[in-house]
Amino acid sequence: MNGVLDPVTFEVIKHRLWQITDEQGATIRTISTSPIVVEGNDFNVGLFTRDGDIVVTGPYVLHHVTTMDAVIKSVIREAGEFADGDIFLVNDPYLGALHQNDIAVVAPFFHDGEPILWIGNVLHHADLAGIDEGSFCINASNVFQEAPRYFLKIAHGGRLASDVERTIVTNSRLPDMVALDLRAQVGALNVARQRVQELVDERGVETVLAVMDGSIDHADRRLRERIGELPDGSWSTEVYMDTDRVGSDRILKVCLRLDKRGDELFFDYAGTDPQSQGAVNATLHACYAGTTTPVYTFLCGSEIDWNGSVKRSVHVDAPEGTVMNARHPAPVSICSIGFSWLASVAASRVVAQMLSCSDTYRDRVCPSWLVSCNGNNVFGVTDEGKFVGALLSDHRGGGAAARSFADGFDHAGTLFSYLSYMSDVESQEWKLPILYVYRRRLPDSAGPGMYRGGLTAVTALAPYGARSLLLKSQNTAGADESNAAGIHGGYPGAGSQVSVVRDTEVWERLTAGDIPLDYAELGGEIEHLPSKAERDLGPDDVLVFYPPGGGGYGDPLDRDPQRVRTDVLDGAVSRRAALAHYGVLLSEDLLLDEEATRAERAARRAERLRSAHHAVPDAERTGPYPTRWIGENVQRAESDGVAVLRCGNCGHVLCGGDEDPRDHGLRRRTDLADAGPWLAVKWDGRSPNFELVESICPGCGVLFDVDERLKR
Amino acid sequence: MTMGSGYVVGVDTGGTFTDIVIIDSAGGIHFDKAFSTPNDPSEGVLNALESASKFVAGDVREVAGSILRFSHGTTVGTNAVIQRRGARVGLVMTKGFEDTALIGRGPMGKNGGIPHVQATDFVHNERPAPLVGGALTRGVGERIAVDGRVIAPLNEAEARRAVRELLDEGVESIAICCLWSLRNDAHERRIAELAREASPDLSVSLSAEISPVLGEFPRTMTTIVNAYVGPVLVRYVDRLHKQLTERGLRVPLQLMMCSGGATLSSNVQRKAVSLVNSGVVGGLVAARYLGSALGYENVITTDMGGTSFDVGIIHRGRQETEKMPFVAQGIPVQVPSAQVVTIGAGGGSIAWTDGDRLMVGPQSAGADPGPACYGMGGTEPTVTDALLVLGLLDPDNFFGGRKRLDRSAAEAAILDRVGRPLGMTAREAAAGIYEIITAKMGDLIRKTTVESGYDPREFVVFAYGGAAPAHACLYSAALGAKEVVVPYSSSVFSALGCALSDITYSYARSEPTTLEANEPVFATFRDVFGGLEEQALADMAESGYSPEEVVLLRKLDLRYEGQMSEITIDWRPGELTAEGAQEIRRIFEESYETRFGAGTSRKESPMEIITFRVDALKEIEKPVLRREEEGDPDPSALLRTTRDIYLRDVGTVRTNIYDGDLLRPGHEIPGPAVVERRDTSVFVPVGQVARVDPYRNLRIGVAR
Repeated sequence: MNGVLDPVTFEVIKHRLWQITDEQGATIRTISTSPIVVEGNDFNVGLFTRDGDIVVTGPYVLHHVTTMDAVIKSVIREAGEFADGDIFLVNDPYLGALHQNDIAVVAPFFHDGEPILWIGNVLHHADLAGIDEGSFCINASNVFQEAPRYFLKIAHGGRLASDVERTIVTNSRLPDMVALDLRAQVGALNVARQRVQELVDERGVETVLAVMDGSIDHADRRLRERIGELPDGSWSTEVYMDTDRVGSDRILKVCLRLDKRGDELFFDYAGTDPQSQGAVNATLHACYAGTTTPVYTFLCGSEIDWNGSVKRSVHVDAPEGTVMNARHPAPVSICSIGFSWLASVAASRVVAQMLSCSDTYRDRVCPSWLVSCNGNNVFGVTDEGKFVGALLSDHRGGGAAARSFADGFDHAGTLFSYLSYMSDVESQEWKLPILYVYRRRLPDSAGPGMYRGGLTAVTALAPYGARSLLLKSQNTAGADESNAAGIHGGYPGAGSQVSVVRDTEVWERLTAGDIPLDYAELGGEIEHLPSKAERDLGPDDVLVFYPPGGGGYGDPLDRDPQRVRTDVLDGAVSRRAALAHYGVLLSEDLLLDEEATRAERAARRAERLRSAHHAVPDAERTGPYPTRWIGENVQRAESDGVAVLRCGNCGHVLCGGDEDPRDHGLRRRTDLADAGPWLAVKWDGRSPNFELVESICPGCGVLFDVDERLKR
Repeated sequence: MTMGSGYVVGVDTGGTFTDIVIIDSAGGIHFDKAFSTPNDPSEGVLNALESASKFVAGDVREVAGSILRFSHGTTVGTNAVIQRRGARVGLVMTKGFEDTALIGRGPMGKNGGIPHVQATDFVHNERPAPLVGGALTRGVGERIAVDGRVIAPLNEAEARRAVRELLDEGVESIAICCLWSLRNDAHERRIAELAREASPDLSVSLSAEISPVLGEFPRTMTTIVNAYVGPVLVRYVDRLHKQLTERGLRVPLQLMMCSGGATLSSNVQRKAVSLVNSGVVGGLVAARYLGSALGYENVITTDMGGTSFDVGIIHRGRQETEKMPFVAQGIPVQVPSAQVVTIGAGGGSIAWTDGDRLMVGPQSAGADPGPACYGMGGTEPTVTDALLVLGLLDPDNFFGGRKRLDRSAAEAAILDRVGRPLGMTAREAAAGIYEIITAKMGDLIRKTTVESGYDPREFVVFAYGGAAPAHACLYSAALGAKEVVVPYSSSVFSALGCALSDITYSYARSEPTTLEANEPVFATFRDVFGGLEEQALADMAESGYSPEEVVLLRKLDLRYEGQMSEITIDWRPGELTAEGAQEIRRIFEESYETRFGAGTSRKESPMEIITFRVDALKEIEKPVLRREEEGDPDPSALLRTTRDIYLRDVGTVRTNIYDGDLLRPGHEIPGPAVVERRDTSVFVPVGQVARVDPYRNLRIGVAR
């Protein structure tokens, strides 16, 4: 497979490289004190070629895979000279770090006086200073108000330099945590260094390096083959952010077009809004990291190694000065849950559209997966006088979109780390002065569809053991719109909302043994917060928040009514929603009324045909039309020797084979409330800014697309 | 120690066979196998006993009447969980948190406890079916805070209604888990009381009793699993016990737990969750015992069967413990468990290629259709096929000749599926498969030992299970381990472990405490350890053991303040003092630096104790194994034949094949050689030599 290598040696050494990486990760997990690291697994580790291309990485946060790579290339470029035993520390987003919290620690590995490869890891530190606690600087308007950007040599001869350590630790509000996390990083790096040394001694340097290069080459071939199997075409979408910084009500738009040509992918963010005054901006490094996430998870999956090969066949372009390619000194400290996150959201959607057009890979369609972080940092001084704080992890209870063959995953976690877990309530209450009032599944939060999306969970908590709490809320988006797209007629899932309920009766209710389970039962006055906000929580105030649900797949009127009933019995879907979204009628004792359901569904389809208007080619939509469109209810066929798209349900010819069927069917505009009770709650579901556009087959009334759009 | 006159019996039920070991009063070991009977596993147990009895006394009644100890490892609990055939369970939780199990800490309920390759198949990796669905879950008003204070009193009306509704739904078992019940269990106890009032025969599992440990998701799952498998296990154990009693058994039945200890059948309901996944630990117990007989304190156990390769560690005579193992996909339990690390590498692991790479596993041909050479319809080349093609296995003497292997089918499968696409001959490809799988096994061992802070060169490797001895000398040499031991009883090693397991009860209570040298901390020590030890002795007394017979071991789970995972250290009895507090810190930091390297500990960081643990041990009289005189080293009388064996690094080598079932103590076999036993083939490479020790174990090391 390579000049000096036979497949057996290749496999044996490759497995060992994986094992070394695994061990590096295990070391970090055990030493770290940060829940973000240990339960969220917000870190990653890797081995890199001499030039900084990543060869093997751990199963942790995927965004760091491409950013570590960029950091090492920056060190090679900027550091000038380096020696055996040097370790560099970089957290500068303009040099490759995702955002300032993510400190990369990287070291060259020397053999015979020459650097032959690199070892590195990156870890999200809980606080590295900046204007806001937690260093997610929602109040910053330029990069100088954020955590300092370090570019340091922190070790000589493998040992941590105490002056450098002290400087970083001193600049943190949580020095103990940062100190141990730094030790975790250096310790892990030293473990990996020792293992690599053993491997090189055992197998010889040339063989090891040949396996490293061969690994990337091999994955590159596999990925190109896979991309080559997909039909050529282009697909586009828009996603949105409501509120880019505290006090702003700006809505920002991301436009993304994916072109697939031959064995390469081209993502282009032309048309995306200019960079923001807020810290949500992504550098191009962060944009690349976000955009390629669905390539790893859905295209590579478990079959193609996750390494630097992606950089060869997957190209990402974003105009400079936009939120996807911010120019210095734009603030960027929350881009990880800002525009880098939205890059994944947009890319997941176009990748799903592309996969829909492939008979072989249609089973991988999944257009949304925890589309908003709903990150909440809480801080407080405990009754014992101690300042504590942490980023809550409850957002990992959000849902993922339905698939082409099954419902979406409930409480799916993040797309970029399958190991990012929520914390137990008890371990949070042990660490922080809070009392959870409830943490429960949020019924009706799944986007309706033939297959429904995944459910999200809702959390309510109050100060306990502290007089008050400071909340810094960095919700990616989702207070005004949802972004949790469905596909092929499936509706979006719940939005993402953070709310404060003031002067509640929570303590009286608890004292009476009567646990409140929703906003209304808490009593008090509800304030639905914008997506970036800071608030104080007093003794009787309760913080309530939920991350997004997942979008649906296919027309909800096609959902098997028995499944709807099961969801009602299980508490996932309310009876009201069973009727409203699915046209399913259940008796008092929750038995399915088949006949009434059939009649109701027929009436709904007829109503669609009556109330919809003929679509016109959509001047509103920016970006190009998809040149390929195949979906659950749209098939490609030949008619009189010409390619056409027709309704999969009734055969009605919708349009030509390369046209957008959404411009040729019937169209109906409705409120977000039609997707469920948890979208745009601050507007009671009737957002003045966003609407749903439904596309309906004129022949039979089947719904073949639902698109959430900014009103213009 | 001397044994009374009678037999010690260990029986281990596996997927295919039920293994039995009978140790007689002279220390002689007898073993046998019967086919497992999945529909009613007690049948397999009785068959095995019946069949093995003829080796010792002839009649099963005669043997049963003289059994001093009957210890059993069962898969009934494990299978109930995996096949979702447990009891119909109702779950009662703190209202507002009743979805804890379904939310499953987000992706932990889906991705916990599964291999990377399964988890990274993002769209297809389904969330496992819940053990208790939403329809059988009830929230009850009550709330206890982190400090144990009652924030919301128990809403008795809701509790009564919940119990009644669940009973109306036909549940036979109830799991109760309230937040912070580890700090204050009053509400759980009251709900249990109400449940028992409503239905006296109901099986009731309380989280505060089963696992009073921090973290409501794993605690809930532990409680649910206990409730789920409890009734099934109780029924099974009762039936088995009755049948054995009918055959004359006069002692109580002992059951193997995943900790490596045993419990009495009267405790099964309370300890049901501990019986799940107890199957793999028997070998560890046997290795500890045999290791100590051979003078080895540090042992790496390696067990390879058809589908998996399991590694365990015994360091200074003690096994490593896992605090929160997953018993199945997405189901963590807080039951201290002997750590056994597994990868999907077995005789059935399938070799495949994508045109460039040669890969082995993780897919397995399993037992059906099995390797291509089984001739049962398997067409994929497996590790067993490779071994056959290389000459490491004899087609006519596999499994003592009970199964004939088809060498040409193996060769064809290897050539078709991997050889031709990669431009290799069948033999080259087979040698590649063998080397790759062996390297993976070595990597797993290296990972497991170094992650625990140990150096594999200070260990001996035990190889058992049908497939491990064909690989062990190679992976052990790569690790620099001191010696490979293939135990005489390797084919029934888990059953031997059952026979040798001590009665062990483990207790744990989370009482998060900052470690400081002051009276409140000393008092916490006194109270928590005192309480756990009192309970331990009471339970032992209930099982018929007096406090004098019981050894109590204290352990502490420690971490730096803010860390999320703890390191467990051993601690001594008695009052805590200021010096003691210092020493705890010192032991922690030593153990920490051993694991993570010098300079990783941090003096300035405050330290927390999270969980206090007590193990109560009633050591069981162990037989003294019979030593035989060592005889003539020359094994040539046992030479069965010679065969060409092909390996990548040495090429084709003419190799002696010995009849392993005729080996006698003292025999020395220089490599290259294959020792063929009824149940396994041991490969001794060039430069190594195998000696038969006085217990008939094969001890393989570098030739002098």
